Amino acid sequence: MNDADLAASFAIFAAKQQGANEVTADHILVGCLRAISRFGIATLGPWSVDLEPMGVDWVRQPEGPRPKVAYSQDAVDLFDRAALIAKSSGDPAVGANHLLAAFAAEEGGLMGQLKREHGISSASWRAAVARMGAGDNKPARVESEKKSAREYLTPEEAAEALGVHVQTMRAYIRSGRLPAFRVAGERAIRLLRADLEKVLEPLNGDKKEE
Amino acid sequence: MPFFVVKRDLPGVTPEVLQSAGLRAKTCCAEMTGEGQPVRWVRSFFLPETAQTHCYFEAASKTAVEEANQRARIPFTLITEVMEMTPEMV
Repeated sequence: MNDADLAASFAIFAAKQQGANEVTADHILVGCLRAISRFGIATLGPWSVDLEPMGVDWVRQPEGPRPKVAYSQDAVDLFDRAALIAKSSGDPAVGANHLLAAFAAEEGGLMGQLKREHGISSASWRAAVARMGAGDNKPARVESEKKSAREYLTPEEAAEALGVHVQTMRAYIRSGRLPAFRVAGERAIRLLRADLEKVLEPLNGDKKEE
Repeated sequence: MPFFVVKRDLPGVTPEVLQSAGLRAKTCCAEMTGEGQPVRWVRSFFLPETAQTHCYFEAASKTAVEEANQRARIPFTLITEVMEMTPEMV
């Protein structure tokens, strides 16, 4: 299964989760982002997109009988555009990067929402996807390194820093094991990097080192 | 499992549109198979002179092939069961 197959499979799953009759372009965008995501966060260029607010339960696996869904006409148009992009790039097969690039000009739907929320322009989206397609994620890595040096972290960044699941991190916050702060007037939660050590317990902590 | 041919008339179709349709067919077949209704897109031939495609599927029933094509939103003119024959068989 290549990443376009995976993205399509996630898109179909997203449509079924919503009880939709058709797989729309929005579902395909969600599917592509999930296909390139890690711990529920899709990082593309300088942007980190949290999949949970999009209704993606990224740890849940498909189960049981589900409604049947068909591709919508806007999904078909998107696949056609992605195939054109793949051809113009000289790539033999359509990948998730071509599908993502096909969203660049979209102003409506979920892509429009992402553009507004993250200040994404068509050109910057294409540029980020192009770097991803070339397998050169250096800009994304540099950005993540910059973030990792920050004093305050998002729950997702804190989870990554500790190497635990983001849901584990949320449980630490809920239980009070880790102090967390809300940015004034916002929903955003931040953790102090230095506080992360509070959940680290030494192995054999009650034994003296020999 | 029986084989079926799906005939399509696609005047003006481009290789990219065929590629897009192939990706949709493949993913819909995988989905239906995951649902317990096995259907597999085997291969397709495009006839440039008549702008037709002949797509071969393996499935338990014609209905399954029809459903896979409907889900993938690929138009067709005929779906019929075929008898497989290879040089080794004669």
